[in-house]
Amino acid sequence: MMSLTTYLSSILTLAEFELRKLRHDSSQIWIRGVQPALWLLIFGEAFSAIRGIPTGGFTYLQFLTPGILAQSVMFVAIFYGITLVWERDLGLLNKLLSTPVPRSAIVLGKALSASVRGVFQALVVLALALILGVNLAVNPLSVLGVLCTIVLFGVCVSCLSMGLAPIFRTRERVMGIGQLLTMPLFFASNAIYPTSIMPDWLRVIAIVNPLSYAVDAMRALLVTGDFSTIPQDIIALLVATAILATMASLTLKRMVS
Amino acid sequence: MTSNVVTVENLVKTYPRITAVDSISFKIDEGEIFGFLGPNGAGKTTTIRMLLTLIKPTSGKITVFGVDALTDPAKVRQISGYVPQDLSVDGDLTGYENLLMYSKLYGVPRDGREKRIRSVLENMGLQDRSGDLVNTYSGGMMRRLELAQSLVNRPKVLFLDEPSIGLDPNARSIIWDFVKNLRNEFGTTIFITTHDMNEADALCDRIAFIDKGRLVAIGKPSQLKSTVGGDLLMISSKTPGCGAKLKGLGYQVISNSPEGNFEMLVSNGERVIPRLLEDLKANGMIVESVALKKPTLDDVFQKYTGTKIAEEGETSVEVRRTRRTLRKLRR
Ligand SMILES: Nc1ncnc2c1ncn2[C@@H]1O[C@H](COP(=O)(O)OP(=O)(O)O)[C@@H](O)[C@H]1O
Ligand SMILES: [Mg+2]
Repeated sequence: MMSLTTYLSSILTLAEFELRKLRHDSSQIWIRGVQPALWLLIFGEAFSAIRGIPTGGFTYLQFLTPGILAQSVMFVAIFYGITLVWERDLGLLNKLLSTPVPRSAIVLGKALSASVRGVFQALVVLALALILGVNLAVNPLSVLGVLCTIVLFGVCVSCLSMGLAPIFRTRERVMGIGQLLTMPLFFASNAIYPTSIMPDWLRVIAIVNPLSYAVDAMRALLVTGDFSTIPQDIIALLVATAILATMASLTLKRMVS
Repeated sequence: MTSNVVTVENLVKTYPRITAVDSISFKIDEGEIFGFLGPNGAGKTTTIRMLLTLIKPTSGKITVFGVDALTDPAKVRQISGYVPQDLSVDGDLTGYENLLMYSKLYGVPRDGREKRIRSVLENMGLQDRSGDLVNTYSGGMMRRLELAQSLVNRPKVLFLDEPSIGLDPNARSIIWDFVKNLRNEFGTTIFITTHDMNEADALCDRIAFIDKGRLVAIGKPSQLKSTVGGDLLMISSKTPGCGAKLKGLGYQVISNSPEGNFEMLVSNGERVIPRLLEDLKANGMIVESVALKKPTLDDVFQKYTGTKIAEEGETSVEVRRTRRTLRKLRR
């Protein structure tokens, strides 16, 4: 029987080496930082000028920043299944599965790897928002809270992506399904406008959308200071993660057979 | 006394369109180098992956060092080493990091880790390049790193899937030496698949021929070769009546051309030649040339299956090259 420490250390090992890869080549983080930057700069500034969205007394850029933070993590995570397919194609996954590490630890380790990338991505966006002069509550507690939310959310979405990879099997299709999902996930959420302005059917999607909970938690931490909904946000993300991680662990074997 | 450390009984793997492995049974002794020789698509990789618990057999039984691979897969993986046919080292990490990662995943204790990694790196002659990204390695270096990586958990049994495919002769001989040393120094049991008969002949204590998912013959290389009926001895002589004379002297002539080329089957050809030449000279026959062809494993394979292994080789080399290129493209 494998002990819990061995189990956890396998997960951390996988994430550690993802971090080392990032250290060898960090260019991806900067390149992927461009898109969220454009959202803040163009979309954010434009909608600030329009003043058409009820943001509860905060500036639109304040309201938007947590949404873009979550979006940048989602983009990294939703396409993580492609990495899995790539590693399957090369043979690396085959080798990894030949170790005694349990399947679920491999899934969680890979998911945490996606989060590691997400964290750096989010830090770029956060720094950018501060440079733009967005007024955010940046203190050790809020930053720590935001990082934890990002890690959890990254694990959640990358488990979804890895659960889909064995079904769609090729890089192109997993890429396609990722693109198909980002649209509704992003727009049917509270990332760029409050769910209160949505028609009912859209609000239903927003409620089952993990992105909404990640945004809500980060918005509370960085902007509103009202922490009352954070526990339910975290619980919602944990439940979604547990379900998606289980699915991904069960289908992982199909990747190599 | 030797003991069977790997036993396989009636192993079957069927895919919707094909039976990849068709009821095979064999046993491997401790410290043995056991080879699976067969053409592409014979079912070698599928077998290895079932032994390593990567895929579930359709039916059959596998034990590895007494552990049932179907009920206790993690334990089998802990004592096994694996060098897959495809890439198994990450090009975006350094050589050292690849080894460190797998030492950690196998749970090698922290205090012995560095020493073990250093020793496998030295063993494979990679210590100078261990800090470089694997993307910058040559194909041969990468293969050596993969071998090093397969040793970090000190496996009791090592599975090598076509280890020298696509490598130049120099890199190939390094790998052969590695395999032999590993067995001789540590007594590691080694299961190796190949479609290269020379490799099988040079390395393996015993060979199993696999074709279309079935084991067609199994034995020591010398035993297998003796089943094709001996060496082929060819002489040419323009002296009339030579063929009749050869038969008269008791040789088993199997072909006989009008130009005076004769082929016969003999055992221990190199010992027969001097006597044959003397006999023929004494009978007034003038021999122009003599040639001897020892049976190869390919001849044995052909005897059992009616086809040769050799022709298929190229495609696999291509596959491997493509993979290497693919990996480079990613950068
Ligand atoms: N996942 C799979 N699905 C369907 N057929 C497969 C699969 N894997 C292997 N095969 C088939 O099984 C046969 C044996 O393949 P393999 O074990 O890779 O052969 P070898 O390693 O000897 O070249 C081949 O015909 C191959 O196409
Ligand atoms: Mg193969």
